[in-house]
Amino acid sequence: MTPKITIDGQIVPFEPGETVLDVASRLGHAIPSLCHEPRLKPTGACRMCLVEVQGQRRLQPSCAWKAEDGAVVTTRNDRIDTHRRTLLSMYVADHALDADGLPVDQGGTGNRLRTHVKDLGTGPALEPLTAVRRDRDDSNPYVHFDPASCVVCGACVRYCDEVEAVSAISLIDRGRRTTIGTADQQGLLDSSCELCGGCIAVCPTGAMTEKPALGVPRDPEPTRTTCNFCGVGCQVDIHVRDGRISRVTSPPPGTTVNDGNLCVKGRFAMEFVHHPERLTSPMIRVDGELVPTTWDVALQTAARGLLGVKQRHGADALGFVSSSRCTGEENYLMQKLARAAFGTNNCHQCAAT
Amino acid sequence: MTNAVPEIRGADLLFVIGSNTTEAHPVIAMEMKRAVVRGAKLIVADPRSIWLTGIADVHLQLRPGTDVALLTAMAHVIVAEDLVDHAFIAEHTENVEAVVDAVRDCTPEWAEGVTGVPADLIRQAARMYATTEKAGIYYTLGITEHTHGTDNVYSLANLVLLTGHLGKPSAGMNPLRGQNNVQGANDAGASPIYYPGYQRVDDPEAQERWEAAWGVPLSPEPGLNLNVMMKGLRDGRIRGLYVMGEDILVSEPNASALEEGLNNAEFIVVQDILPTETMRFADVVLPAACFAEKDGVFTNTDRRVQRVRKAVEPPGEARADWQILCDMARAVGYPMPDYAHPGAVYAEMASNSPMFAGIRHERIGAAGLQWPCPEPGHPGTPTLHVDGPKKGKATFMPAAYRPSEELADDAFPLVLSTGRTLYHYNAGTQTRRANGASTKQPGNFIEMHRYDARKRGLANGDRVEVSSRRGAIEAEVVVSPRMRVGCVWMPMHFPEQLTNRLTTDAGDTVTGTAEYKVCAVQVSPLAAAK
Repeated sequence: MTPKITIDGQIVPFEPGETVLDVASRLGHAIPSLCHEPRLKPTGACRMCLVEVQGQRRLQPSCAWKAEDGAVVTTRNDRIDTHRRTLLSMYVADHALDADGLPVDQGGTGNRLRTHVKDLGTGPALEPLTAVRRDRDDSNPYVHFDPASCVVCGACVRYCDEVEAVSAISLIDRGRRTTIGTADQQGLLDSSCELCGGCIAVCPTGAMTEKPALGVPRDPEPTRTTCNFCGVGCQVDIHVRDGRISRVTSPPPGTTVNDGNLCVKGRFAMEFVHHPERLTSPMIRVDGELVPTTWDVALQTAARGLLGVKQRHGADALGFVSSSRCTGEENYLMQKLARAAFGTNNCHQCAAT
Repeated sequence: MTNAVPEIRGADLLFVIGSNTTEAHPVIAMEMKRAVVRGAKLIVADPRSIWLTGIADVHLQLRPGTDVALLTAMAHVIVAEDLVDHAFIAEHTENVEAVVDAVRDCTPEWAEGVTGVPADLIRQAARMYATTEKAGIYYTLGITEHTHGTDNVYSLANLVLLTGHLGKPSAGMNPLRGQNNVQGANDAGASPIYYPGYQRVDDPEAQERWEAAWGVPLSPEPGLNLNVMMKGLRDGRIRGLYVMGEDILVSEPNASALEEGLNNAEFIVVQDILPTETMRFADVVLPAACFAEKDGVFTNTDRRVQRVRKAVEPPGEARADWQILCDMARAVGYPMPDYAHPGAVYAEMASNSPMFAGIRHERIGAAGLQWPCPEPGHPGTPTLHVDGPKKGKATFMPAAYRPSEELADDAFPLVLSTGRTLYHYNAGTQTRRANGASTKQPGNFIEMHRYDARKRGLANGDRVEVSSRRGAIEAEVVVSPRMRVGCVWMPMHFPEQLTNRLTTDAGDTVTGTAEYKVCAVQVSPLAAAK
């Protein structure tokens, strides 16, 4: 018999191994959380997702509490709200705040702490903590870290250990000075970091952000497309601002082949798109030099040149090098051009894997 | 890939050979790491101690170019110890006797002499692979970029068939395709022997189908593969060239010879997004839009057709490659239809290719659509051969070890393999213009064992000349614990110190794929730099 759990009065079946948070999310019950991330083993660090489980004296973290047959769970009541507001007060006392006293809006990646404070409010007003966390001098071009916006949930560290598995960052120092650091606080370029940027993707508060897009708001409607580097086929969301690519993010985990992951090239190596050296005009060779011309002239010149070779030496003296970097349709058209327009099967690309 | 990328996470054993996955396919490597964290066993076969060997259970550090010896010895162990899947072989394969015969004398002890891998380690790897149900093979260009690349692939396939690791979840035979759309380019018929959908050009039925679709007579004569085309430039078989989106001078082997060939050509058209080395030889240059500036599809390594969507405008007068190709066809008098969108181009291809007949742009969702997808409404095929091999019975193909084309000798005593790094991509056209990549790896380097370095009086950071029978270039020494004695490694990303001036254009007898992974070189201190 399928096991069943009662969540907020609703009796629902679940798969063994699912957590209370998994089941509740499936029902559409939004349980607030900071450190939860589906790709990572639960740690129950942030305590925001605590729920009431019948028979348990204390509130339990729903991200780590496995669903049990016959269990009765409440995800929202006064006791839970009071707990969450108190917790939020403690986070706010130890966080960079804006003029309204809210956790700073990290324009780039958003700040879930800010959202939770706005949704739930805070509890007792606490004296701000004045701990100075160690920062580090880091000249890496891609990953920015702001200790004052960090809630030390450790999601970035867990990602670096469990998914990218290079363990470049870890929690350092103690107590209220605890922060995210590297071995000897070296810059990421000198660490085992591979600049995949997964730490940015899992950070709930925007303490980790894309350095090239610092403070640039997200595109509310990014363009979903496929990365143009290797053959994995990662889906990417391209954010655009003023006609230029501002940042690249991954679709949520569990929705595409890359499961929310990207590498240094897919996330960051997009400078080439807007590079000043991009070719912007057709060119033909005149007296040994390539000179700009119109599309019409360039196409006519190309056609004359290729047809001339065909007339002098036959169609099989022509070679068509297509590209595994271009789209399927473009490869189709290139071989159609070779076969149907010129009459040769000499069409290939660098694809002999 | 016979299996899908998300299946990697559920594997109990990964056999990774000739693939530096963490650098060439970082996001697939993440899935492998997650499998290992979960408890999967990992066997890595690679001449270098690549990152994955650090978390591997077994590292088979073979000499470059000796894969067939290693793999036939593994097959020998599997046959000799009767670890074969008799039921699978009887039901789904043919010609097993040929392989049993071929591997009879390929003992692990013999293979140890050829590969340098201890016989016991070969036995251990063979047993682990054969006795684990969810065991998949993952390979890349370390397998194919050899004069015996096809034999390497046959040898791997024999292991899969002997053990019945086919048509099952998290198992199979999984080439990791190197480029975003290698799979899609082949699927679309950018091949000298296939029309779209792997319909042979010398098959009269296929010829008839495409003649009807395109309204012109077509040639049944198979064309030249890329390797032969490049050589053809030198010997006069090829006089005119149309190059789209590839810097052949940087990415093809034996660059000095190719340069000579390009000089011979009567007419060259280059269509690209950024200046390339090949452009120096162009008569006409056509500026193209990059992937973020156009629509279409890419097909990834697990046969997943996925959408490409325009996010930004192309610069200046640059146009999408598909538009340029249509105009070019019209300019030479071929009536290319007036496609409103690449979706219409895809529909034309799919409706004449049974393999993709059910795929249309509108059907492709967030997770893509994996071929075969033969009719509308078909959900696609994540795992191949689930109901037995597609072709009925899979054929065992025996392969015998033979040395690579060019071996180390007194004049060129080191074996060079080339490849890709995490931070750069192929000809470097895109990544050499990326800030992070250029900070991390600004120029060409050569990885070598400390023994080989010391013998030449070299230290980390020294400038050296690397020479082969075909050319010489400069590079910086990286003394690396990853290397075997006698082996060196270089990336291919730096046009100004072009590694492919060294490589040989000897190609695989079947595919023509060049032997980028093995050529003989010498490394000497650069006296002039003082």
